[in-house]
Amino acid sequence: MTSHAETVNGELPHEPEKATLEGRNKILSFWLFLGGEAVLFGTLFATFLALRNQTNDGPTANELFQLPMTAAATLILLVSSLTSVFAIQAMHKHKVAALRVWLMVTVVLGLGFLGLEIYEFAEYVTAEKFGMTTSAFSSAFYTLVGFHGAHVAFGVLWISVLIGQLYKKGLTVVTAPKVYVSAMYWHFIDVVWVFIFTVVYLLGKVG
Amino acid sequence: MSVDQHADHDVIKHRHRSEGPQKHIIVFIFSIILTVIAFATVAAGGVNATFTVILLLIMAILQVFMQLGYWMHLKDKGHLMPILFMIFGFFVAGTAVIMALYWVWW
Repeated sequence: MTSHAETVNGELPHEPEKATLEGRNKILSFWLFLGGEAVLFGTLFATFLALRNQTNDGPTANELFQLPMTAAATLILLVSSLTSVFAIQAMHKHKVAALRVWLMVTVVLGLGFLGLEIYEFAEYVTAEKFGMTTSAFSSAFYTLVGFHGAHVAFGVLWISVLIGQLYKKGLTVVTAPKVYVSAMYWHFIDVVWVFIFTVVYLLGKVG
Repeated sequence: MSVDQHADHDVIKHRHRSEGPQKHIIVFIFSIILTVIAFATVAAGGVNATFTVILLLIMAILQVFMQLGYWMHLKDKGHLMPILFMIFGFFVAGTAVIMALYWVWW
């Protein structure tokens, strides 16, 4: 590992997020958190899979879902995952301006995804009469997909605050682990979405 | 602010290599291809349902493995504990899913 002397000298090591024990511990414990998140989403997926055919004479998955909208949301989130990779690569090259720009692009794409999801839910509730209490299927759907959307919203807020902190404090061995961990979180959100568009939307269309 | 704008000279001494974006762009393109295969199979319809379900799950799992491995660096050295955390998380999640699929309406 990089010696501490370099950080004392005011020179940032190549991977500033792993330069301190605190930084490495943050990353390690964030993986433990993501393991817990996998359990959380796993139980929501399990609930959804158990209830997805209990439509109580309300709309079914096949009637409801529009593949182009899901494809657009998928593309947005996938691109935003790539832009957060670019953010971390800029951080490793100590290019703070580029890091901030890539984080901003990620936030904007996250907002785009949220906008699409809010539009989708509003459409279901008003035009399709598919509310939270319509059926066991609708409750399970809104809980699972809404929980993922809430994660995206939290990620957008979190990364926005980090951009502000980068303006205020710059890139240091203290701010770098925060940025790295938020990027891990963002990738994990995309990983969960891969399961959502497969299990909820595509399998919903197949029946 | 301790930002080093002259990063070039201190990189050379370290065993770290500055990785380029190529690898990540390849993962991105693969993810797009796997996603397009999944959506196209469903959109085309008429394909055997069991086959479609298996294909969709394979596409999803491949994409998840690539993103965990490359974008989240799980394939890099020194990631034994993170891999164990994730395996344990997915094991519990998988147990819940199997329970829901096979026992709830038994």
